[in-house]
Amino acid sequence: MKVSVNQIKYYQELYTWSENPAPDGVAKLVERIGAQLAGVEETIEVGKKYAGIIIAKVIECHGHENSDHLSICKIDDGGVAADVERDADGHVQVVCGAPNVRAGLTVAWLPPDSTVPSSYDSDPFVLSVRDIRGEVSNGMLASPKELVLGDSHDGILEIDEDVAPGTMFADKYNLTDDVVIDMENKMFTHRPDCFGMLGIAREIAGIQGQKFTSPEWYRADAGIAAPEQSQLRLEIRNELPELVPRFTAVPMAGVKIGQSPVWLQVELSRLGFRPINNIVDLTNYYMLLTGQPLHAYDYDKVVAQDSSEEGSADHATLVVRHPRDGEKLTLLNGKEIEPRGESILIATANKSIGLGGVMGGGDTEIDNDTTNIILESASFDMYSIRRTSMTHGIFTDAVTRFNKGQSPLQTMAVLARIVSDVERIAGGRVASVAVDDNHLPQEIQDSSSLHEPVAVSVDFINRRLGLSLTTGEIVSLLQNVEFRVEQDEGTDSLHITAPFWRTDIEIAEDIVEEVGRLYGFDTLPLALPKRDLAPATKDPMLDMKTRVRNALSRAGANEVLNYSFVHGNLLDRVGQDKTLAYKLSNALSPDLQYYRMSLTPSLLDKVHANIKAGYDEFALFEMGKSHFLPQQDDPVTPAQEVPSEMEWLAVVFAANPKAAANHVGAAYYQAQKYLMTLLEDLGIADKVQIIPYDPDSYVGSTKLKTAQYEVSRTAAIVVPGYCLGEIGEYRSAVRKSLKLPEYTAGFELDLSLLQELSQQVAPGYQKLSRFPKVRQDITLRVVAALPYQTLHDFVQGNLSSQLPAGDVLSVSALDIYQRAEDADYKQITFRLSITSYDKTMTDTEVGVMLDALAAAAGGALSAERI
Amino acid sequence: MNYQNPHITETANVLHQRFDTLAAKADILKAPELRALYAEIPTLPTDERSAFGQELNQLKQELIGLIESHQEQAEVLRPIDVTAPFDINVPADRRPALLSSEVGSRHPLMTERDQILDIFYRMGFNASQSREIDDDYHMFGALNFPEGHPARDDYDTFMTEQTAENGKRYIAPAHTSTMQNRLLRQYAANLEQGKPIAVVVPDRVFRNEDLDARHEHTFYQVEGIYVDKGVTVGQLMATLKTFLQEYYQQELDVKTQPFYFPFTEPSFEFAMSCPFCKKQGCNVCSYSGWIELLGCGMIHPNVLRAADIDPNIYTGFAWGCGLDRLVMMKHGIEDVRHFESGKLEFLRQFK
Repeated sequence: MKVSVNQIKYYQELYTWSENPAPDGVAKLVERIGAQLAGVEETIEVGKKYAGIIIAKVIECHGHENSDHLSICKIDDGGVAADVERDADGHVQVVCGAPNVRAGLTVAWLPPDSTVPSSYDSDPFVLSVRDIRGEVSNGMLASPKELVLGDSHDGILEIDEDVAPGTMFADKYNLTDDVVIDMENKMFTHRPDCFGMLGIAREIAGIQGQKFTSPEWYRADAGIAAPEQSQLRLEIRNELPELVPRFTAVPMAGVKIGQSPVWLQVELSRLGFRPINNIVDLTNYYMLLTGQPLHAYDYDKVVAQDSSEEGSADHATLVVRHPRDGEKLTLLNGKEIEPRGESILIATANKSIGLGGVMGGGDTEIDNDTTNIILESASFDMYSIRRTSMTHGIFTDAVTRFNKGQSPLQTMAVLARIVSDVERIAGGRVASVAVDDNHLPQEIQDSSSLHEPVAVSVDFINRRLGLSLTTGEIVSLLQNVEFRVEQDEGTDSLHITAPFWRTDIEIAEDIVEEVGRLYGFDTLPLALPKRDLAPATKDPMLDMKTRVRNALSRAGANEVLNYSFVHGNLLDRVGQDKTLAYKLSNALSPDLQYYRMSLTPSLLDKVHANIKAGYDEFALFEMGKSHFLPQQDDPVTPAQEVPSEMEWLAVVFAANPKAAANHVGAAYYQAQKYLMTLLEDLGIADKVQIIPYDPDSYVGSTKLKTAQYEVSRTAAIVVPGYCLGEIGEYRSAVRKSLKLPEYTAGFELDLSLLQELSQQVAPGYQKLSRFPKVRQDITLRVVAALPYQTLHDFVQGNLSSQLPAGDVLSVSALDIYQRAEDADYKQITFRLSITSYDKTMTDTEVGVMLDALAAAAGGALSAERI
Repeated sequence: MNYQNPHITETANVLHQRFDTLAAKADILKAPELRALYAEIPTLPTDERSAFGQELNQLKQELIGLIESHQEQAEVLRPIDVTAPFDINVPADRRPALLSSEVGSRHPLMTERDQILDIFYRMGFNASQSREIDDDYHMFGALNFPEGHPARDDYDTFMTEQTAENGKRYIAPAHTSTMQNRLLRQYAANLEQGKPIAVVVPDRVFRNEDLDARHEHTFYQVEGIYVDKGVTVGQLMATLKTFLQEYYQQELDVKTQPFYFPFTEPSFEFAMSCPFCKKQGCNVCSYSGWIELLGCGMIHPNVLRAADIDPNIYTGFAWGCGLDRLVMMKHGIEDVRHFESGKLEFLRQFK
């Protein structure tokens, strides 16, 4: 929303509506607007463009001897231009090529050293004294285009008022030092009134503590006097009173279409609007002033729509209705559309002629031959306008305003005002009684406010703001912007009625905001809430994630964040069934098709690029959520209002062939090393078991997550009763499609379970013993197929049972070995470490225990001590 | 695969059957039937040769595909004992080892989240995570966005094809405020005990936007809500100012600008004086001395009501602050896309 400071000043004088809008200068005003009204996008110094331009009168004009189109003019500039060559009469010579230049014309003269306004922003063209085919030209006479007043470059601007030569152009048209302030529209979503300069001027007064009074014609809504004789009949049929609560229109006859007066062109141009003709310009002008979009139809063209060979219609009919099946409409911009079914059409009896509140139609457009017009000022449902605009991609100035919900209480006042200007400027007259199709509830019409008065106490306002304003201060802040305030005798309760242009004042909090903003939120006293000494409790999952993050980064792993959405290709590559994923319906990017069902695929997707970037080996990890559609054979299907979310930790280790050469054995064990390091860090390593992966035990969503694993090199990570996750290498097809190195493995864990487990950690401290720790090794030969864990557990169990209670035993693998010639067997060497608290253990004692262990293992597991 | 030419179709069927019986699968390409088809080409009318040749090539490719997929299936890995701590016959010095902790890294967004959380914990706030898939009610309805309200369109939300029972699509939340209703309910008991509701939600949100150096469709916000009796706008500003001063370890000026959010009334855009140049002007603050940081406001009474909290008794404030930008400003990160790029060159710079 753009406003011109000078325009506000001008209206302030014209309507005496307030004091100076910028008492402390424009910079201060902009600062206040920023703090109390809306973000300022930019300030444009439009006044500077017009500096130095002088209004002059052409005294003499004759053809140039050496040219068939140039004229040599003597102009009277009132003698104000300095340092120019003048003739005996004090006139200045200017050569002009415009066909319309002639003696007696009042023109805009750009003297030497002035800048052509249209070139000001891009490549400033500074005028000089030039010789044009043997004649001196002091500067030039300006065309409307050069003055940024529309596109016309056919001739020079003809100033249409009697202006004394020597008047500065900028002074005459209120452009001197003018600054246009461009405010962010998003602040005004609920402030339709702020889409008009009148509304902004009111706010500017309000935030500076000034009293504002809207002009009488806007406030009082005197209506339009009916003509003595009805000339042009107009009939309105509103079939959509719900969507169009008020539709006002009036026909005018004898209008002369032409260029707007220069002042009107300037008013539009400074705000970036292109002047078109006097009627269109006036509708734009009043829209910019009041926020109320207006539309002008050619009356005779409207009638013609309903005329046929049988005869012409005798009056104009405007029907407000929805489109009929397949109905098409050609808009002002020349485009033909098939309006959406629920859009609001303006039609004649037979034919649609406009998309109500969005854009008029080409068939009834005003042109140079138009003499009779219909002016429309209506109120349209903001949501309907918005949807129509979005559906057809039409974004007009009317849409910008209507989709904020313009007040239906202002339509007639604005119509009456434009009618009087059309009479004055385009010579028309009201041709029949104005139509006011008004469906507003009677109480709204009577109270002249869209909402009931809001009851609020002074105390309530002060408590919310942390202020102690007096009743008088609050009342005057509100009255400054024309709220009606009544006070209950002897109490502090106020009854506040919003003015008719405010659509947003419904509850007490709205009044609090209004008072706070007008008072200035940036001046409120700042004080922290008081609190007691109770500690805040940490979120267990966030806390868990921090612990995991720290543990894994210490272990040399790199935390990654991947998108929550993946491309379908990725799911295909790892073998996950896409039909089980939540699918996005509207993503702009094809990379975001599905919610991911586990984290591992996105991590695997990041491996190749990093290897290519020169990283030989690395461990990536991510913590995040997964989602998948509920499945029938899911072990748990919680009934929930929203899809369930699960928290996961995924880790992937990858090494290119060069780095992998340093690792002997399967990549699986490298992943396992990271898993065990993490579990130990969390203090739960001894609660968790790693068991061979059995695909058949997986059903439903659990199966889904394991699709990428190579069965023979995958294990389940379990605690009694639960599966925490899986660890393993990836199928060769997965490796190939994602260009993973052969040495790649990883795991994915249920973070919620991990978090629960880590809550139950018992202290792991072992008291120091006065007696030395005993270490011995034992090697057992077993069948190759016997899982290591089975033997380990047996050794641990057997020795524990032999040791007195209280002694501490640890059993770890020292070596796992297979002789080439003995492929059916393997031998495992365990290192035992025993801590006794009441004596020094002798080797003999330990030897006896190991003998017993070997004998038991021989019986139970056919193990042979080596 | 279907072929137009009956000869090729017939041959394809024969070869498929034979493939299953072959020991050396690659031999299928040497099948005499295939050679016969190739020999047929020169005998064909000129205008048919091209189509025939193409189909024949397709058949050959199909057979090559069969061979390859068979080889893939055939790649049998040496079985391992997954319960063992290391592989068989691996010398002690070549067993799995952790990478050096020097190359380890924490994601800068998460490190920052932890730091911010730490400050809010100390200020007495609880914390909660957000959701990544939510319904229309929590994202909009409970937050006083009327149906069809234009403000809904300002949030370019990702939607799912799947719908909830009410027929509405699920949403990838565009703001952490999607948790407000749940948290107000979860902590409503605090109010009865005379304690405030004070929670922050630092988590991931989504906007359906095209990516560029300054725009991510996936980013992080820190939401805060505070509800008690007699909460004021001044307390909101003091709370944010206190947090920011602690975060930046220096005195700061703050200012607000009126704004519009459906779920707060009044609403503000909140700015702080630039902590990097002490208001002198630098490229972080675009030489303005100020940095617009977050949106905030007093919780709308309808939002409290939606959580069965009486707005006549209790008031509160809420804010939502982007995390990515804080981190970018802090480290001078030039492109927001680095965060979710997974590039080690980026990640390993953040210990």
